[in-house]
Amino acid sequence: MDLIERIIKEGERRVAELEVCLSSGYAVTGRLKRREIHYASGSEHQGLSLRVIHEGRIGTSATSNPERWEECLDAAISSARLATPQNWKGLPGPGKFDHAPLNFDPAVIPDPGTARGLLEGLIEGAEAYPVEITSATAEVSQSSAVLANSSGIRYSERETMVSVGIEAIIGQSTGYEFDASCRMDIDPRKVGEKAAYLAYASQDGKDIKSDRYDVVLSPVALSQILGSVFVPALSGKNVHAGRSRLAGLLSQEVMDPSLSLIDDPLNPKGISRCRWDGEGTPARRIGFVEEGILSEFAYDLKTAYRYGKESTGSAVRGGHGGSPSIGVHVLSLDGPRCNVSEDEVVHVHDVVGAHTANPLSGDFSVELSNAFFMREGNVEFPVRKAMLSGNVFEMLMETAGLSRDERVIGSMVLPEIRLKNLALIGN
Amino acid sequence: MADARYFDIRHVTGTVTHVDMDNARVESAGTAFLDRAILRVLGPKGWGILAIDHYTRPRGKKFDELIGRAAGLASLTGQDVHLADVPLGSIAVPPMKENPAEVDLQEKQRLLAEIERNARIEGIKSTRANYIERFEDVTFEDSSGNEYSFTICRSGFSILAVAARGGDMQMGYVRKHVLQDFNLRHHQEDGGEAAARAIALLDARTPRGGTMNAVLDPELAGVFAHEAVGHASEGDLVWEGSSVLGGKIGERIGSPVITIVDDPSLPEFGFEPIDAEGSRVGRTEIITHGVMNAYLHSRETLAAVGHGHAGNARAMPGEPPQVRMSNTYIEDGDSSLEELIQECGSGIYLKGTRGGQVDPGRGVFQFNAEYGYLIDEGELGEMVRDVSLSGEILRTLHSISLCAGDRTMHQGYCGKGGQSVPVSDGAPHVLLLNSVVGGSGSH
Repeated sequence: MDLIERIIKEGERRVAELEVCLSSGYAVTGRLKRREIHYASGSEHQGLSLRVIHEGRIGTSATSNPERWEECLDAAISSARLATPQNWKGLPGPGKFDHAPLNFDPAVIPDPGTARGLLEGLIEGAEAYPVEITSATAEVSQSSAVLANSSGIRYSERETMVSVGIEAIIGQSTGYEFDASCRMDIDPRKVGEKAAYLAYASQDGKDIKSDRYDVVLSPVALSQILGSVFVPALSGKNVHAGRSRLAGLLSQEVMDPSLSLIDDPLNPKGISRCRWDGEGTPARRIGFVEEGILSEFAYDLKTAYRYGKESTGSAVRGGHGGSPSIGVHVLSLDGPRCNVSEDEVVHVHDVVGAHTANPLSGDFSVELSNAFFMREGNVEFPVRKAMLSGNVFEMLMETAGLSRDERVIGSMVLPEIRLKNLALIGN
Repeated sequence: MADARYFDIRHVTGTVTHVDMDNARVESAGTAFLDRAILRVLGPKGWGILAIDHYTRPRGKKFDELIGRAAGLASLTGQDVHLADVPLGSIAVPPMKENPAEVDLQEKQRLLAEIERNARIEGIKSTRANYIERFEDVTFEDSSGNEYSFTICRSGFSILAVAARGGDMQMGYVRKHVLQDFNLRHHQEDGGEAAARAIALLDARTPRGGTMNAVLDPELAGVFAHEAVGHASEGDLVWEGSSVLGGKIGERIGSPVITIVDDPSLPEFGFEPIDAEGSRVGRTEIITHGVMNAYLHSRETLAAVGHGHAGNARAMPGEPPQVRMSNTYIEDGDSSLEELIQECGSGIYLKGTRGGQVDPGRGVFQFNAEYGYLIDEGELGEMVRDVSLSGEILRTLHSISLCAGDRTMHQGYCGKGGQSVPVSDGAPHVLLLNSVVGGSGSH
């Protein structure tokens, strides 16, 4: 804290406002090659991210060596001199929050033994099917961050994270599965078993004829498609800059009327929960889409002040050197739940190439991974190879339901979704 | 240090300078500082690794303690890791042409603004231009007494233009990066090119998916080489058993017209003067006239798998080295673009890319073209957009029937294992028969 006070004191002498984010952390990682641990690593991370605001000009800098904060402050002030001035109404002051950490479990201790135990669990789980493990990773981390500004905010956070991932193969059939939690509550055996199942069950795939099919996207596939196209279109910055297809559609139907897309920073299922956002604004529930109707966009302070809006508490620390930018905290897709595997359906676990979707128009063509042709909930055959083509915005206009089960994937909590009449290009 | 068979330390300091112009405003601009090290110790079995932010080399006992900490981590490992003896030593970093460090930030902003201004033509609703410049000072030492250091600069810009009409929005972009140079001067026309493409794409149609012949431009064919061959030839994936190219040395896996090379010693965007574990860099012919010839390697994957040479260990600052591509390309053939289009008959000519992805174990890849033109009876026709292709590594390489002689290289960043490194990909125009083209259009 002493360092932060020194930086703020020196900064206030030179600029009108200053924001400091000082973070540190320790992570232990174990990595398997086949069935043996190939490396174990310990990673000490430190970061200082500064933002200064002077006469509406915003400047940033960052360093992984906080001892060199003076150089970093000079760079942030130089950066502000170059920025185009904008309307600015001040950094937020302190709010009354419960400061008990939300994503912290004291039982999560980053030691090599914990990582090894997780890897052993992955191997044990994968033994449920006769497959080979190619690689696996387990990581356990603790981190802390202090967000402070010249308006008096001094918010401290502590976080823990446990994550595992494993790849399995049999012949040319592959399976990948992962899980992450801020608590010590993940079951590596289940993860290992799922990866092994995906590889095993996808063997001897059959070709599927090019046609239109009902398709179920798993939470993994859905998160990739939403994250590449729909989420960026909800950013107030993209909306006002003319880079969102959703601009101008507030109060209009943009999804199936049964669907709602909500960012709830306190969603108990989330692993990136928060009470305040990356610049200290209280985080709140944002109903982006409520029963199909586009209701809100996401704003941070900079975008809100520029366009005469209010910040929605959507700043996350993901910009240059950890500077704040617009993002989501715990995004969930909600709607009536049903059995999504009735009748005939192609179930898609994952896709290859979601990042190549056109982020503006929403058009995409991706290759399927671990896809199964299913009838009445039973797998008829694995699909050897096919491309799924469509438009993200259009395909969400008419859905055939969401599954009861949900899954946490990064900053999203998602069910499976059944979509009607999508184009598959087979062989 | 009894349990340490080997150690190395790679320390990177430097600066990252950026300018972000958004609709004629300076959204942000400035410099951030980098200071990260990675220490690897090879224990009786595998590696113990420490990543350290703002590293200063400790002296005497404290250095031994640091090695001891990494050796403690190594004691958890069970994989038998051996390091091949390989040629060491550095080649020269190409001389700096115009040094970006000597151009002040305001000048960079002014030049970037000119490129962006050129994109703001009628019909364009949004423009965004970015400049990024990285200076890295790299020092390396290992337990055998090898030491090296070098400074390298990579910089470049991208310009995005968005055209909108009715409910439709399309984008055009140009991205250019350079090694040891400053490339913001005399590039105003790239703004106009991005804008013109965005507008043209409003009238382009989405093709109907299916199997057809495709001519790929050098940028897209470079991505094809990267996704379809490059990743699957990485020695770590071969070692793990997650590449369909494992065990294929000496086998014909593609048409005789295709030779694919990776070469970190080329002065292109993926250049390295020495690799991340001190090995000498050089040319690897992965596929020679359709026959699998070699894999890309680090010292340990060379020892474990063989076939090829080390020099492809690469890492982001403060991250463990992985086997990575550098400058990957398809060698020139002796045809011309006109011959390719003629030979294509009916099909599609595809240009530009938003990248691709591969599952090397399954041997299936996907890559995307920004736009293209239908080919009908050897003639270029209507413009199409958002075309993706997918294929199977072991089948598709047989389907390349012709290569032109007009190879160019394109710069980008490639992600693997959470690390992103600068690469370049290149190729001449190539003709790919019976490729699977994705698209939801009705014609």
